[in-house]
Amino acid sequence: MSFKSAVITFPGSNCDRDALCYLQDLTKGVVYNIWHEEASLPQVDLVILPGGFSFGDYLRSGAMASKSKIINDVIKHANDDRYLLGICNGFQILTEIGLLEGALIQNKNLKFLGKNCFIKKKFKNNFNLSIKEDQVLQIPVAHNEGNFYCDNETLKSLKNNEQIAFEYCKGEFSNSEENINGSIEAIAGITNKKKNILGMMPHPERAYSDFHPSQDGKLIIESLIT
Amino acid sequence: MNEDLILQHGLTLDEFKIIKNYLNRDLTMEELGIFSAMWNEHCCYKTSKKWLKKLPTENEIVIQGPGENAGIIDIQDNDGIAFKIESHNHPSYIEPFNGSATGVGGILRDIFTMGARPIATLDSIRFGLIESEKTKYLLNGVVHGIGHYGNCIGIPNIGGECEFESTYGFNNLVNAMAVGHVQKDKIFYSKPKSIGGLIVYIGSKTGKDGIHGASMASDVFSEDDEDDKRPSVQVGDPFMEKLLMEGCLELMSLGLIESMQDMGAAGITSSSVEMASKGNVGVLINLDKVPLRQPLSAYEILLSESQERMLAVIDEKNNLKVKEILQKWQIDYEVIGEITNNKRVVFESNNKKVVDLPVDIIVDDAPEYDREFYMPRKRKGKDFDFSNIKLEDIINTLLSNLNYLDKSWVFNQYDSTVMGDTVKEPGQSSGIVKIHGTQKVIGATTDCNPLYIRINPYEGMKYTVAESYRNLIACNINPLAITNNLNFASPLDPNIMGELVLSIDGLKTAAEKFNTPIVSGNVSLYNQTNEIPIKPTPVIGMVGSNQDLKKINSNKFCNIGNKILILGKQLEKNLSPYLLQDQNLASNINEYNDLEELDLDYEKKVADCVLKMSDFKYIMSCNDISRGGVFLSLLKMQYKDMGFKVNIPDPIDLFCEYSAGYVIEIRNEDLNNVSSFLSKNGVGYFEIGEIIKENIEINSKKFDYFDIINNYHNNFEKIIN
Repeated sequence: MSFKSAVITFPGSNCDRDALCYLQDLTKGVVYNIWHEEASLPQVDLVILPGGFSFGDYLRSGAMASKSKIINDVIKHANDDRYLLGICNGFQILTEIGLLEGALIQNKNLKFLGKNCFIKKKFKNNFNLSIKEDQVLQIPVAHNEGNFYCDNETLKSLKNNEQIAFEYCKGEFSNSEENINGSIEAIAGITNKKKNILGMMPHPERAYSDFHPSQDGKLIIESLIT
Repeated sequence: MNEDLILQHGLTLDEFKIIKNYLNRDLTMEELGIFSAMWNEHCCYKTSKKWLKKLPTENEIVIQGPGENAGIIDIQDNDGIAFKIESHNHPSYIEPFNGSATGVGGILRDIFTMGARPIATLDSIRFGLIESEKTKYLLNGVVHGIGHYGNCIGIPNIGGECEFESTYGFNNLVNAMAVGHVQKDKIFYSKPKSIGGLIVYIGSKTGKDGIHGASMASDVFSEDDEDDKRPSVQVGDPFMEKLLMEGCLELMSLGLIESMQDMGAAGITSSSVEMASKGNVGVLINLDKVPLRQPLSAYEILLSESQERMLAVIDEKNNLKVKEILQKWQIDYEVIGEITNNKRVVFESNNKKVVDLPVDIIVDDAPEYDREFYMPRKRKGKDFDFSNIKLEDIINTLLSNLNYLDKSWVFNQYDSTVMGDTVKEPGQSSGIVKIHGTQKVIGATTDCNPLYIRINPYEGMKYTVAESYRNLIACNINPLAITNNLNFASPLDPNIMGELVLSIDGLKTAAEKFNTPIVSGNVSLYNQTNEIPIKPTPVIGMVGSNQDLKKINSNKFCNIGNKILILGKQLEKNLSPYLLQDQNLASNINEYNDLEELDLDYEKKVADCVLKMSDFKYIMSCNDISRGGVFLSLLKMQYKDMGFKVNIPDPIDLFCEYSAGYVIEIRNEDLNNVSSFLSKNGVGYFEIGEIIKENIEINSKKFDYFDIINNYHNNFEKIIN
């Protein structure tokens, strides 16, 4: 069976094309692009909520998109134990829907951050199976609100349930700080308890082609397919 | 009509007399507003037109030269590249965040109006000295504004320049450039095709923002003007522009539009007059149909510069389909008029004609001035005393001067990798993006050397064009064409006018030699506040291509042990203006020696060799040499744990400027081949040293590697905070 996937486009999404190319090139299967006003999703193995500024970030990043018509079916898709990946604004949307815990607040230096960052895996899940322990991945970030925040109780349960997928770390020869945006415990990505939903701030879809400075973004799709 | 009113509208009494004699009647207020908008420098180039006509604008690859929303060049197959640079200087001084954001928004609209999808932005920003709190405020606001708009709409920023110099203290410069990709058979122009076509309004509702923006941009400032002029600054909404862009590109891809023009400077007035003039037709527009954000008079609607708006002409049969597509994108859409055959611009409001003017007088009869200009004075030769200048001191001054330091603080606030096609991010010799779905790449760079141009406008401009050229060559990008943004102070001063005239002449000479025509551009005059004129700042945006992304040169060191060679001609230290300025040897502009004449033939010869050696894979990495000399070029090439050791008879020469200057890294085993290739082509080289691990050595003297690297990368942020 070939791997099927879909990317949702909201008004203001600007990484939807990047995510479509990423899936097409790496899964070799059917990839659907779904407009936010559509009522239903096709049966697919993976749905990506892409990066960008859905609805112009008005109200709060991800808040308006979380009320879109397609979201009902996105929730159903996730409840059927199929994969759901939110990248950057997609991660923000997932926390606004309530499918993931915590929230993404403004970066600690109050500025947009667009650069290469380094992450490694914390707890094992199906999204990071192909990544070795202590392997440092180089993947770009581009966000203004990427500072992951949650209360102590939530943090404790994220740890107890091994829901922290990725954390920021130091890169070799890099003079930038370890925790680039001030996230609690340098969290870069988390899953739900069942670990079929991942939200992450770094953009793996910008790190997979030969001409990109790193191809580490491939590992996430490879993890899901193998 | 009373004289004060005329002068307030930025027209001279002589200009007004021309209009009145032509019409043989009094003007309505709305008509006065139209002339105010259309006859200012920003829209009609009345001072610069005579000289701009001399520029080379055509060759075998130019599809569209100046005169449209953007220039377009052919990069083979069905691919065209649309690009343009534009200034938003005055608005960015009054309100740095919105002023710079809408600068980006405006230039992006110029690109997608032609059917091109924007694929990259660049910028060129200049501020006063950082010691001033005002500069910090402007720098923060401008960078935030540029980032906010580009990041949100999702176009990668791939490069630019950022300079600090005292004359920009009360008149900062913000020039934004955009590059787009278009299929050659799907280019859209502003010229309407048929009489009777519907004129439609697409985009944001019209509000009071930006009324008289274009005439403000053509005005001299005084410091206390700021608060008065703030309502003239437009407010941008990049989310709306994203929807507008996707909506317009969808309409164009379906062939539902005949022609399109963005409502930029001077809003609906300028866009409709342009349409009529290009098509040699008339326009009839009912202002009551214009979607409004708040109640506005006809006069205000005509002059509003509200952002994210387009004017298009469509065939009536497509009306419903267009409406349906724009509804999906949640964009306002209204039929507001039609194309007529009477060559008149007519605006109606409340069943009354408020404007009824022949197109000819607005466009063709716009004033054109031949202003007086002076040639620069001859310079006396002077020898500067370098005896007290130590190597360590020069390095320390470089590493504490913002103009030399790594500017990650700026470009880390920009999204450089969105769209997934970025090959080279900002901070390198030039920015490079791939054409989506192909192996072709486009390189682009912006440059200006204001100090050189003040010393000698003609030669200085040649150096500026040559520096852009080298930025592309160093990456193995074949330079193709130019867009320019001529920022000057008041042309009423014959010295300033002389700088304008001579630098255009220098641009012409260099562009002809490099076969890089000027296909689009912008002029920004009266850049002076409190009688302090800015340095002449004609910024060049140069674009080039390579058909194969695998052939692109790295600008960073590749391997320890590789040899470092210098190509080009070093300027003697008494003839290196930035070295003299930044080591505080020359304190007054009159002290500098004249520039050494730039030999464009040699510049081209060396460039051709670099391109060939890149294709032969002799070059492992390459960087051009500019301000800061060989030393800064090497520092920019530093990568991972690599450093360099060099030997040079006079170490001060490491900081001298160059013509045709490149640093190249080659493998030891290629040295003989490279040497014979260069001598066969009549290009000399100097083997200056090699790449070593975690060290910087000059003439066997060791410097603190980590100290220098950390200062280079971190001092910018330390200094500005």
